[in-house]
Amino acid sequence: MAGRTPSQTVGPFFSEALRWKDGGKVRLAGEGESVVLVGRITDGAGAPVADALVETWQAFPEGPAVAEGNPRGFARVETGPDGMFRIETRMPPGKAPCLDVTLFARGLLRALRTRVYFAPESAVRSDPLLASIASSPRVATLVARREGAEYRWNVRLQGEGETVFFAA
Amino acid sequence: MNDLTRPDNVDPPYLFEGYRSTRLRAPQQALLALPPGALDMPGPRVPARFVRDSDNDLTTRAKGHPLGEKMIVSGRILDESGRAVGRSLVEIWQANSAGRYDHPSDTHEAPLDPNFTGIGRAFTDDDGWYRFVTIKPGAYPWGNHKFAWRPQHIHFSLLGNAPIQRLVTQMYFPGDPLLPIDPVYNSVPDERARTRMIASLALENGIEGIALGYRFDIVLAGVSATPLGI
Repeated sequence: MAGRTPSQTVGPFFSEALRWKDGGKVRLAGEGESVVLVGRITDGAGAPVADALVETWQAFPEGPAVAEGNPRGFARVETGPDGMFRIETRMPPGKAPCLDVTLFARGLLRALRTRVYFAPESAVRSDPLLASIASSPRVATLVARREGAEYRWNVRLQGEGETVFFAA
Repeated sequence: MNDLTRPDNVDPPYLFEGYRSTRLRAPQQALLALPPGALDMPGPRVPARFVRDSDNDLTTRAKGHPLGEKMIVSGRILDESGRAVGRSLVEIWQANSAGRYDHPSDTHEAPLDPNFTGIGRAFTDDDGWYRFVTIKPGAYPWGNHKFAWRPQHIHFSLLGNAPIQRLVTQMYFPGDPLLPIDPVYNSVPDERARTRMIASLALENGIEGIALGYRFDIVLAGVSATPLGI
């Protein structure tokens, strides 16, 4: 076994390098209900995190391989000065549809991993992935709330209402 | 402790007192342990034309040549079992030779270089090899503590071939006197793991009379032989 290379912070100066054209518009083949995910990332003092990078992945996107542009099923966006991000995709499949989320930021020496669900909280609590916290009020931190045409999901890195992050 | 499923002391903790920005951003609750293999799935496949052949040469973006010490960094990307991570996206960014990023948030009083953006992209080949032509970045001060200067470094972002391989790290240079006092570098608990972030001088990777060569290999997490869902 070769030893892994350690993680280091993405720092404050990544955005020019890691910004992808249309990075917030997920490419998927076929039809489906469109989903607009909007959220704000805040720190332990409740202040917006204006220099985070948000990536989402919905596994097994269908369709033939593409030759140019962004990969299917994947989004990458940075937060704005108000800590907000916005991702346009289509509803993932399953009883508890979700996106896998990875967060990078200055001050995060390692990425944070979590999930956002587009389903009623009861359905989310039944996800086997969350079995060990199925009855915890913290499950609510993983559920996006429908607000008009958008789904709203805020991420709290630390403190009251802290989002559930995964050990992975 | 808010960490870790991997008890190998390779990755830094979220809270590291010496790095001030971690204090309000590190989670305080225990991380949720997932069933083994739960996130073991294939990742995004980046289209071939996402990267142009010239994207790995940071010295040819403008009419003129950037200032500084021309260098080539190349290496292999492997997983923990030694398998090549082929055809995967590598993105880098760095300060110019004066220690200034071409980024609106960098207010360091060092000059921008009109011939250097400090941004590059490459795919690994089937054997996991990548290569960048660039300029050795300068050290620069930051506000973390009194007389704080970051050692010279190049940021690396690796997509790997699976979400669990996703890694953002930094490459450092051998013999840098700032390394022993840099909190970001020293946030890695295991000393041997720390030194894996330091490139080695590899003259034969350079171009005679033109560019100094460095070798930087990167090891990503292993993907289990039978990922769920395949």
